[in-house]
Amino acid sequence: MDPRILVIEDEIQIRRILKNALEDEGCLVSEASTVKEGLRLVGTSSPELVMLDLGLPDGDGIRFIEEVRGWSDIPILILSARFDEEDKIAGLNAGADDYLTKPFGVGELIARMRALLRRKSRSEDEVSPIVQFGDCSVDFSTRVVLRGGKETHLTPIEYKLLTVMLSRPDKVMTQTHILKAVWGDSYADSAHYLRIYMSHLRQKLEVNPSQPKHFLTEIGVGYRFKQ
Amino acid sequence: MADRFSPVQRYFLTALFCIVSAFGLTFFADDLDHANIVMPLLLVVLLVSVNLGRDCAVFSAVLCVSLFDYLFVPPRFSFAVNDPQYLVTFFVMLVVALTTAHMASGLKQAAADALKREEVTQALYKVAKDLAGALTGSQVNEIISKFILEQTSSKSWIIETQDNKIVRDDMTKGSPFSIESHMATVALRDRRTVNSTALNGADWASLYLPLSTSMRTYGVLSVANIENPQINLKMIEALASLISITLERLHYAQVAHKTELEIVSERLRSSILSALSHDIRTPLTVLVGLADSLSMVRPSLPVQALETSAAITQQAMRLSSLVSNLLEMARLNSGDVKLRYEWHHLQDVVGASLQHLNLALHEHQVLTNIPFDLPLLEIDAVLMERVLSNLLENAAKYSPKGSRIEIGAIEHQKDIEIYVLDQGPGFEANKLEEIFSLFVRGEKESNTPGFGVGLAISQVIVKAHRGNIYAENNPDGGGSIHVLLPKGTPPVLEQEESL
Repeated sequence: MDPRILVIEDEIQIRRILKNALEDEGCLVSEASTVKEGLRLVGTSSPELVMLDLGLPDGDGIRFIEEVRGWSDIPILILSARFDEEDKIAGLNAGADDYLTKPFGVGELIARMRALLRRKSRSEDEVSPIVQFGDCSVDFSTRVVLRGGKETHLTPIEYKLLTVMLSRPDKVMTQTHILKAVWGDSYADSAHYLRIYMSHLRQKLEVNPSQPKHFLTEIGVGYRFKQ
Repeated sequence: MADRFSPVQRYFLTALFCIVSAFGLTFFADDLDHANIVMPLLLVVLLVSVNLGRDCAVFSAVLCVSLFDYLFVPPRFSFAVNDPQYLVTFFVMLVVALTTAHMASGLKQAAADALKREEVTQALYKVAKDLAGALTGSQVNEIISKFILEQTSSKSWIIETQDNKIVRDDMTKGSPFSIESHMATVALRDRRTVNSTALNGADWASLYLPLSTSMRTYGVLSVANIENPQINLKMIEALASLISITLERLHYAQVAHKTELEIVSERLRSSILSALSHDIRTPLTVLVGLADSLSMVRPSLPVQALETSAAITQQAMRLSSLVSNLLEMARLNSGDVKLRYEWHHLQDVVGASLQHLNLALHEHQVLTNIPFDLPLLEIDAVLMERVLSNLLENAAKYSPKGSRIEIGAIEHQKDIEIYVLDQGPGFEANKLEEIFSLFVRGEKESNTPGFGVGLAISQVIVKAHRGNIYAENNPDGGGSIHVLLPKGTPPVLEQEESL
């Protein structure tokens, strides 16, 4: 079935381009230019993904995310033209799934959209205890991590970090979120733990830790796991 | 009551009161014992000493003794005395009267002094209240001059020194009298009151009090033309500490105000940059989107058109990166930008740069050489990513397709070196430094084409990290850029127990 996409963007030119590109990909697109209209359309057109510009004329996009997250876990992709990383972090912490900084290529946009939709359909399928990426596979039922067919030893914290990262493929996770999930609330400001353990994880599971293919850094924001 | 009359009037009243009382008592001279006539006369002395002061009391004591002798002691109406034992009466009466007079008027004086002190205290309270409302140094000066003039009839003036330990002549401009700068300096430096009686009387300030708190010194209070040498020094010193506290309050209010202004202007600056960023990126997004949509037209456009659309996308992306660099430059050059320092693994930053430049680097062979155990670096990762992206982008731009680009790090004793090597033509030997200085003020604009703002902003960012950046030509060809960052002391991790 064709995915239904809601685009909330106040620049009519950008909206037009997004609509054309998405329709070429076989999506059904509904458009809104304000937070208010967007909230109404989320309710009535029941989209499968929302693309949201953060700087909307009638209010903050963050407010939109918070309100939608109150009753729905529909994927939200932020389109940001702002200068600061803090807006993105605020958006992601409010519950958005991913962001793209303007200007972005249409190809990149489609790829991100596909990844988010895939994740959604996957989570609706029966959950498999085995996750595979690259030459690695993780079996959550036995807690065994294989690389190239051979078992790789992970420390408890490394394993915990791995499960947190793998829990939401393609979603950008802020560093505060990961720190709280792995180490607990009191470690929210101890980012250096995360840096070190992430490098351990890459050392053990990536082909080239400095050019990672799966555990990607979103600089100034957090990390993303890509399958 | 004593103050209402002149001395002559007071003596007249005393005499009148004594004489009228004594003559009044003559009507009872036959009925009353002499001892009982002495008593009312002593009462008269007491009343006089309470109401008219010590001098009149002594006068009344003598007068009453005389009147008693004249009017009552036989022979009456003569100062002669028949019975010598009356001399004892006179003596005791005089002693009692004088003692009474002395004590009563002493009490009176004490009460008057207390009243005076009360007035001074009230005045100090009032001046403290006025000072609490003062908003500027000149208002403080005005309030104090008025107060000292009222209380001591002396002129005064505050020398403001702005945390300077020396009083210069230019600080004493505007004072209503001459000021001995040296003495004021001594008062300020030694934090003690300097009082020069030699200067008193002339049109010179003779009393200098330091105005300082435990934190800072604010100036000197100078007082001149002291008519009353018994001037209440304690009060003036109390006043000086009141002034110090007021000046301190004004100082901190000013500091707070300045900080607030800075915060507001910083907010304004960042919102302008943010708006600018938004306004420039929006049309760029449209441009990239339009170019991309050309490449998606079905059936496909001719190859030349596709190349053109790809070129438009590429140029728009470069423009966007240029804009980011310029905005970052504006932000960093606007003064006290707070870098968001955190301890990062260089791997993260290099990885993000390579990911970011994916498109620009895909025609080159990229080699990374980051030691796994490299210590964490305290950096603003967003800015450092920009530096590495700029260096890598330049390397890709100036070296032939398919050639190798290497990015790596070396741990030295005090710092960590990050380098980017390419196999391009390298740098002109005499321009190794110039390539960074595009925006250095006062220098001729660099003509080196294409290096643009990338290296300039990189230098600004590296310098902000207390680091260093330089270019080299490699012995085996190609150029390299090196970034040196101080190591610092990375935080220690609690070791995890192995399974």
